[in-house]
Amino acid sequence: MSKPMTVVLGVIGSDCHSVGNTILNVFFTEQGFKVVNLGVMVSQEEYIAAAIETGAEAILVSSLYGHGEIDCAGLREKCIEQGLDDIILYVGGNLVVGKTDYSLVEEKFKKMGYNRVFSPEFPLEDMAELLRQDIRKRRQERENKD
Amino acid sequence: MKTKTDSQQLICVDIGSTYTKGALFALKDGKLELLDRQLSPTTVEHLPDGFYSVAKKLVPSQDWKRPDYDHDELPVFFSSSAKGGLKMAVVGLVPDMSLHIGRLAAFSAGAKVYFSYPYKLARKHIREIESADLDILLLCGGTDGGNEFYVQANAEKLAASSFSGTIIYAGNSTVDEEIEEILEDKKLVITENVMPEFGELNIEPVRTAIREIFLEQIVAGRGLKELVNKFDSRPLPTPLAVYNLAKAIGENVPGWDSFGMLDIGGATTDFYSFCESFDPDSSDSMLKGVAEPKLKRTVEGDLGMRVTAVSSFEIGREELVNSETLSEDEALAMHEYTEKVAADTSYLPDLPEEKAFDFHLGGICARHAVTRHAGTMKQAYTANGRVWVQTGKDLRKINKIIGTGGYLASLGRENKALAVPQYEDKSDAISLVPTDYLYYADTQYILPLVGNLAEKYPKQSAKLAIELLNQIKIKD
Repeated sequence: MSKPMTVVLGVIGSDCHSVGNTILNVFFTEQGFKVVNLGVMVSQEEYIAAAIETGAEAILVSSLYGHGEIDCAGLREKCIEQGLDDIILYVGGNLVVGKTDYSLVEEKFKKMGYNRVFSPEFPLEDMAELLRQDIRKRRQERENKD
Repeated sequence: MKTKTDSQQLICVDIGSTYTKGALFALKDGKLELLDRQLSPTTVEHLPDGFYSVAKKLVPSQDWKRPDYDHDELPVFFSSSAKGGLKMAVVGLVPDMSLHIGRLAAFSAGAKVYFSYPYKLARKHIREIESADLDILLLCGGTDGGNEFYVQANAEKLAASSFSGTIIYAGNSTVDEEIEEILEDKKLVITENVMPEFGELNIEPVRTAIREIFLEQIVAGRGLKELVNKFDSRPLPTPLAVYNLAKAIGENVPGWDSFGMLDIGGATTDFYSFCESFDPDSSDSMLKGVAEPKLKRTVEGDLGMRVTAVSSFEIGREELVNSETLSEDEALAMHEYTEKVAADTSYLPDLPEEKAFDFHLGGICARHAVTRHAGTMKQAYTANGRVWVQTGKDLRKINKIIGTGGYLASLGRENKALAVPQYEDKSDAISLVPTDYLYYADTQYILPLVGNLAEKYPKQSAKLAIELLNQIKIKD
């Protein structure tokens, strides 16, 4: 049996939308991931502390209240500072207020260091598959380095 | 054969760094009673001598040196904090997570934590560990199945060091065997992870391990084996006796389900809290981080009345001056006073201003020990309105505080209470310290001795402890 894929999950900032978080928790657990769910109103420091202690391979950040841009900026830099250089960062939800072209949103968050950016319409099954692929790829890259 | 009588006498002895204290108790009709209390200087070169001297004062008719001591007739309980108490270092991973939980485990086993290191041990940390003469090092970090890099890297460094105390490993259990291999040349005890799942506390296995190591190795090293064998008694680190008593009081005495206990010593200040750490029914607040235990002990190594008087004063100086409790001149005089008492640690104040300095010093120790022990709460505004985000333990439900230790006992004998001073706080986080409480002084400084009985007689010892306290009104 291969090592379980551990992911840290939570809703960032002063955001207390807990329904989606609960759904994601149940969904990714059913998909075979080991989910460390931090719930709502999670700070960047909390994601990182959890990722270090649990040896997580990815952090899944949700933001639903429109302040995602402010809350999410700087997480990649903090991860690097704490030695989580190559951790996979996903972000998804209603990342900005109003109707903005999604490709612009994606570009903005990718610049911040997020590996993948998801709109609320993105199918969860596909996301789980991408996550598995990304984690396998990261494991491969790590092995090659050693 | 021993005939069972309805009255049994018991002896408790606490071997402190300066004094060996003893008390004679009677257990009659299911009730404990204090009969006598004695003390003698601690005999550092051979601790049993001071022990016998106290025992003889308590029960002169007993032949204490006879080899076939009848411990059913007069049971002996004892604790020790001589020779620096139980000295530990904690090596964890993230400061607020595994390292924090590791420290809680060490404190709740009665230890003093000399060093706490997160992440990877640096060379200078190894040097500090090597030169500190520590009894135990607790190595933890990583949830089960989680991070395995740091604990192994730190184990490698410890393996290469000259550290000769016992290492307890209580980190990610996935690498238990690797750790065992890396540390094969060290004294090693492996227990369950202090944090098996993220944010989950599991401190009992480490507490048990510390207790066993104290009995098997440290007690012998302190020259107490003789007493263990003779009296068939398992000694406790003194703070553990107090911890057990706090537990017994909180669980057994009506009206004492939320209380604190402050022990200001010459070198350190201990605070114990017994209360729920978070109110889960509260609709507008949420808890972040570790849910702390109902009974929590912390020890501050830089707060104390004598050995650490200078550092204590430095910590509180600004508050005393800013609140106009002290003028600049008085602050200078107090600084000189703290240097004097740090050099002459048995000094007892004579002049009224010196007594006032000691009182301020006690206030600093109390305030900072309690503030560091307590959690904080911050306001956050969300789309659903305002919420309070709590981290750490909420002590606001505490409605009684016991003052113990040499200084608070003597202050209590003058019928003076030491309230935890409050100053205006400008930070955006609210400190969750107790604000409205009754004060009780352990004027006879008897709690460590009563605490020796707390495991075997929880109800009786808790009741007696409360009877022996003196309630003192806090002046506004």
